[in-house]
Amino acid sequence: MSAEFELTRNITIGQYLPTASVVHRLDPRFKLGAFVILILAIAICDTYVGNLFALAICIWMFQISKIPLHYGISGIKPAIPFIIILAIMQLLFYGEVVNGGTVYLKYGFITITSESVRLVIVSAMRFVEVIFLSSVLTLSTSTTELTHGMERLLGPLEKVKFPVHAFALIITIAVRFVPTFAMEMEKMMKAQASRGADFGTGEWWRIIQRTKDMFPIIIPLFNVALSRAEDLILAMEARCYTPGASRTRYTQYKAVGKDYVALIASIVISAVMLAIPW
Amino acid sequence: MMQPIVNVENLSHIYMQGTPLEHRALDQVSIQVAEGECLAIIGHTGSGKSTLIQHFNGLIRPQSGTVIINGMDVSSPKIDIRTLRRQVGLVFQNPEDQLFEKLVGDDVAYGPFRMGLPLEEVRRRVQWAMDLVGLSFQEMKDRPTFALSGGQKRKVALAGVLSLQPKVLVLDEPTAGLDPRSRLELLDRIRRLNREEKLTVIFVSHNMEEVAKLADRVYVMANGQSVCEGTPRQIFGNQELLRQHHIGTPESVDILYRLHEQGYSIDPSAFLPEETAMEILKLLNR
Amino acid sequence: MTPQPIIRVENVSFAYQVNQDQQIPVLQNVSLEVFPGEYVAIIGHNGSGKSTLSKHLNGILTPKEGDVIVNGINTREKQRIHEVRSRVGIVFQHPDNQIVATIVEDDVAFGLENIGTSAEEMKTRVDFALEAVGMSAFRHRPPHHLSGGQKQRIAIAGILAMKPQVLVMDEATSMLDSYGRQDILAVVRKLHREGMTIVTVTHHMSEVAEADRVIVMEGGRIVLEGTPREVFSHQERLRELHLDVPDASRIAQLVHSEYSEFTPDLIHNEEVVAEVNRLYVRQAEASGS
Repeated sequence: MSAEFELTRNITIGQYLPTASVVHRLDPRFKLGAFVILILAIAICDTYVGNLFALAICIWMFQISKIPLHYGISGIKPAIPFIIILAIMQLLFYGEVVNGGTVYLKYGFITITSESVRLVIVSAMRFVEVIFLSSVLTLSTSTTELTHGMERLLGPLEKVKFPVHAFALIITIAVRFVPTFAMEMEKMMKAQASRGADFGTGEWWRIIQRTKDMFPIIIPLFNVALSRAEDLILAMEARCYTPGASRTRYTQYKAVGKDYVALIASIVISAVMLAIPW
Repeated sequence: MMQPIVNVENLSHIYMQGTPLEHRALDQVSIQVAEGECLAIIGHTGSGKSTLIQHFNGLIRPQSGTVIINGMDVSSPKIDIRTLRRQVGLVFQNPEDQLFEKLVGDDVAYGPFRMGLPLEEVRRRVQWAMDLVGLSFQEMKDRPTFALSGGQKRKVALAGVLSLQPKVLVLDEPTAGLDPRSRLELLDRIRRLNREEKLTVIFVSHNMEEVAKLADRVYVMANGQSVCEGTPRQIFGNQELLRQHHIGTPESVDILYRLHEQGYSIDPSAFLPEETAMEILKLLNR
Repeated sequence: MTPQPIIRVENVSFAYQVNQDQQIPVLQNVSLEVFPGEYVAIIGHNGSGKSTLSKHLNGILTPKEGDVIVNGINTREKQRIHEVRSRVGIVFQHPDNQIVATIVEDDVAFGLENIGTSAEEMKTRVDFALEAVGMSAFRHRPPHHLSGGQKQRIAIAGILAMKPQVLVMDEATSMLDSYGRQDILAVVRKLHREGMTIVTVTHHMSEVAEADRVIVMEGGRIVLEGTPREVFSHQERLRELHLDVPDASRIAQLVHSEYSEFTPDLIHNEEVVAEVNRLYVRQAEASGS
């Protein structure tokens, strides 16, 4: 209770955990590429052993990126209720839809088969794998590298008139201003609380009242955001920014041996995952 | 000494305790403010000033040590935090950002309405608060807030806190970013609140001219500690201290120090330009 | 041969359009020349038009009437606006609102990316700019952990990387504490010594005292112009305009009014001290002989 309004100081913004491991030092384009390949493979693979193998790989990735596993586990915790609800729904209703397998139980419209059980377990495993994998990615890659990598990967889309530069810039600016707005919001909450406002008290079903209570924060925050945006536009223009014009890039990435190794490894791992028949 | 209205003893505060980013913002700070005083807290960015003043109205509760405001113990979980916040009006830096109502009068009335006061009383308070900051109630109450100048907006925000009729007014960098005209006017208003309305005023400032003009007493903060306390005269007379903690001096004080260093017998605490001129005249036997 | 001005502001008027038939005049027939290597300070209270004027200097705003010529290029020439803006860089008031990127060095490179500088050239220029403002050690840091003064140094570096001839400071120190302000002033002083033309818009009279020339604005017009010494000697006029003078000139004039030997038009602290010395020694000699 000693810090009810401390949004910024008690939350580590961006989860980047610099341990300088080989994973951290990978070229972000290749890292993102490998990540996408693995995610796709996980989405397709629906065998027990394949997923066990993927889970083992994920845990091994924590090891090589020198990130304690509990970071990944703390990422799963908030998702547990969701996983459980999903599992129950799948268990209850999938039996009818999925063909084959031994029927374990049939009661009214509920059918549980060995196939539906497999699906439930596999999708729970997929969940864990995806969360682990994304944790490794965000913990080992700064937001700057992520946007850079994404921009480069999306590069080819420029040929079909997709505004890749603008898109990347929007994301960069959004990321850049997250801490600023968190601070702003904290200040606004404190300032209005000093004038007698209180937030989040009162019965939860009085939604309209509670929304109204937030006005003294939302309205000024919106104003501040607008004036910041105006300032930022001026500053960008003053530094020769022209919307839609092509720009050169300061950060240049040059792939080296380990980047290719990582990419090939991800392909091999995916192939193994999908080849496992059980 | 009379019972102080603000009594801080051995207050410490650590942010993100137990993480690698642990940061000790306050370290055994003790501060007493008497009723009716005008107190300045100075020190450069990161010295713990804002963490300290947020304890005064319970936005931050003490981790260790005590904060007693007008007899209310802020660390006690039982205190009525709303009563506390009515007694201590806290004005943040750039308070004009926090205006949200369309009309000036409505924004000033927000606090009193939240207190559940009857309309007549709210109206009386709004008028009183606007008068105090120098905004004509008749003329300004129905003006849209967005059309005001920066200086006027800040006065509206100040009135919005005053309408709670606090006993203690706490201001964080009250004049930062204002032009000289609005700055002088606002300083004058704050001084009157203190001298005429008998409000206890505590303000944080980087502007030493402001401190010299306004404060009865000054606390110097550095690295989360309160390193020194005294009248502006005592503080500005202590060159060693100011240099050590990177605190700027009023220009007049700089001139006095330079003369002092050259061996002239001069009183380095004569910090108002008029006094400095007198000192120089005395030196030249005029 | 008289030197060519680097910026020529000729009879510029500007107004903000409120709606169809209402507009607020902000600048009225302003003319001004800035010469290479000069240090010009523009003062005036809020609403006097000084910030609007500074935004005309690199074509962020273009005049309603009159012209602004930067190095021979009219700021109305849209296709050459990058040339203008890489010659005249502006640092704005809010340290937080002009940093674009999530990493310091990326931000310094932002302007260069916009004008299509090659990657190798960018590297050299970013190194140079960060070195010039003393922020090399922070190049890989995210900007939100920096102090206000450090952020403004990054903003200056972002401008310097473009190798401008003129640096415009639009109230760039007004949000900083005295420590941060001294920091920025030291950087600006150094750049000026190395030949950079400086135009600063400010409320701090001690900053003004360092300029070669002061321009005082009121109601969208230039009402006073001259060296700081000349301008600060008009104390009455400045008071009418709600502007301060440095304590040094205030003190000098106060002493002068009682003791006419004391030179009234002093603007620096050192000058006051030197003047005291001069008169003290003279008195000592007079009484000694």
